[in-house]
Amino acid sequence: AGKAHRLSAEERDQLLPNLRAVGWNELEGRDAIFKQFHFKDFNRAFGFMTRVALQAEKLDHHPEWFNVYNKVHITLSTHECAGLSERDINLASFIEQVATSMS
Amino acid sequence: MVAKLSQLQTELLAALLESGLSKEALIQALGEPGPYLLAGDGPLDKGESCVSGRGELAELPNGLGETRGSEDETDDDGEEFTPPILKELENLSPEEAAHQKAVVETLLQEDPWRVAKMVKSYLQQHNIPQREVVDTTGLNQSHLSQHLNKGTPMKTQKRAALYTWYVRKQREVAQQFTHAGQGGLIEEPTGDELPTKKGRRNRFKWGPASQQILFQAYERQKNPSKEERETLVEECNRAECIQRGVSPSQAQGLGSNLVTEVRVYNWFANRRKEEAFRHKLAMDTYSGPPSGPGPGPALPAHSSPGLPPSALSPSKVHGVRYGQPTASEAAEVPSSSGSPLVTVSAALHPVSPTGLEPSHSLLSTEAKLVSATGGPLPPVSTLTALHSLEQTSPGLNQQPQNLIMASLPGVMTIGPGEPASLGPTFTNTGASTLVIGLASTQAQSVPVINSMGSSLTTLQPVQFSQQLHPSYQQPLMPPMQSHVAQSPFMATMAQLQSPHALYSHKPEVAQYTHTGLLPQTMLITDTTNLSALASLTPTKQVFTSDPEASSESGLHTPASQATTLHVPSQDPAGIQHLQPTHRLSASPTVSSSSLVLYQSSDSSNGHSHLLPSNHGVIETFISTQMASSSQ
Repeated sequence: AGKAHRLSAEERDQLLPNLRAVGWNELEGRDAIFKQFHFKDFNRAFGFMTRVALQAEKLDHHPEWFNVYNKVHITLSTHECAGLSERDINLASFIEQVATSMS
Repeated sequence: MVAKLSQLQTELLAALLESGLSKEALIQALGEPGPYLLAGDGPLDKGESCVSGRGELAELPNGLGETRGSEDETDDDGEEFTPPILKELENLSPEEAAHQKAVVETLLQEDPWRVAKMVKSYLQQHNIPQREVVDTTGLNQSHLSQHLNKGTPMKTQKRAALYTWYVRKQREVAQQFTHAGQGGLIEEPTGDELPTKKGRRNRFKWGPASQQILFQAYERQKNPSKEERETLVEECNRAECIQRGVSPSQAQGLGSNLVTEVRVYNWFANRRKEEAFRHKLAMDTYSGPPSGPGPGPALPAHSSPGLPPSALSPSKVHGVRYGQPTASEAAEVPSSSGSPLVTVSAALHPVSPTGLEPSHSLLSTEAKLVSATGGPLPPVSTLTALHSLEQTSPGLNQQPQNLIMASLPGVMTIGPGEPASLGPTFTNTGASTLVIGLASTQAQSVPVINSMGSSLTTLQPVQFSQQLHPSYQQPLMPPMQSHVAQSPFMATMAQLQSPHALYSHKPEVAQYTHTGLLPQTMLITDTTNLSALASLTPTKQVFTSDPEASSESGLHTPASQATTLHVPSQDPAGIQHLQPTHRLSASPTVSSSSLVLYQSSDSSNGHSHLLPSNHGVIETFISTQMASSSQ
């Protein structure tokens, strides 16, 4: 697992723009990032979730997510530091990569 | 054969396989020889190899045949002109292909030179050799180089191939986000991750960020131990990742440009040899032929034996290249030549092409030195230092422009009418151009470039808070211009004052929280180009030159058509009045580039920061929606 320290302002400036550019948003009232994905159908959505799940296990960092049919809403935050950490960035990046390769 | 897998089963299987599970492990985990699996061995085999090679797993049952077929295509020579790229387009899912095509189309509509600069800066940022582009696009390398560096025209179809590569390569950025070896390769254009393609890997290249770190370490100690080398490895990889705008823990995404201890070791060894060689050169030339070292005008220091002027060149190269205080690199040179070096790098502090001059004289010095001795060949690195010296001159000239690009993320969203005005602006001789936003150092601006690229593809609207409105200046009336003829500083102030007057009667914060989305931006040059401005501005605003001193009174936000702005006389009161409002400009929605304009405007001294060399030009953004949003 990567570092669980809360991201500083400079780190956020470096790392978050890339994620923001692809649609991740910071949540109000909570130090977390959020994105909604939707896929062609449930199978794709769940395949996506499976890939993310396997990676999350590997990283020992799990997302908060919700799924209904072909939509997946993912919220990423780190509990240990009560905010965003490098682990969230890593997982978000992986999620992006999977999502683009899938759809 | 294989019992038809349901689509969900296929998806899940694909996910499992992609996560690195081997077939044997899967079978074992299933706890049985799996007769149905044996039957499915053939297709699964191909499927797996396709998995590792392609990653298009969603199509697994149907795609088995397809991928097998297309595997042959992947071994195709990349030398063919467009077909390989197009073929790869088919290999993608339709949505991704369509998305990429759309982006390429957009790029093709843009000004080719601007896109070329974007592509070039991307290549520099990620240290991608041109050879990789040439191999995958089939373009001619000379043609490509000329197009990217000098703007030599390139036909549309070839540009399409280039942009397609560029868009595809940006997927490499997505791949950066995986752990080492995880996720595999999607297709070849990444160039550095498929060893099977004729065994070709991109040659490692030192990035400027890493080199800076190494030079600093070198001056501390010429012979680092293994631990120190490892520390440097971490530091360099971290810096390279940051330069690419990527989390440092994803260093594996650097691919062929990943820094290792061996490479650091070799770098130090080469530097030591280089220094010894230059020392030898200096000894020879100092005591040797009458042409002598003859240090150039920028290097008044005599060349002491321990200190050939050429030893300054790598540090100067980097001083020129980074435009940053290279005091630490200057320290590499012992004190006898310290002062001239310091003055040179001091001259380089403001990132302006006036720094070109030292590098020019350097070039001549270095050339004299190397050619003076007909002795053994110099170490390769001194030659590369020479070569890179030559490149820094245009490079530095471009850098302010690249930084302009970086600090103006909205530039690419400008409509067709704008580029004409932007052209002359950019080709302005750098000495008379000031771009706000250059207050940031090099390292910080580079990631912005990356995000600019992404903002283009996503066409993300650039957000400006309304406080920027005060700075947006419509053409001033000629009488106004004569007032400000005295000094460019006053010109700026006058510009900044008048629209500000619109809000002057209500300087509270509340006034500034009303923020609109301003996707269109426009560059405005200084007051001397009013005619150009007049032709550019699409907003209908009426300006009256109001000589009355009271700018506070009688200013009403017009209800309907035109916005009337009263231009106050320039008295210090007006200037001071400007400042507090600017202080209020801290709004979280302001993008970083626009914030820079106001971060230094806290005091009149801050304004002088805007014009450090008393330049007469200020480029600011104007929103074409200002009229509507201010109503």
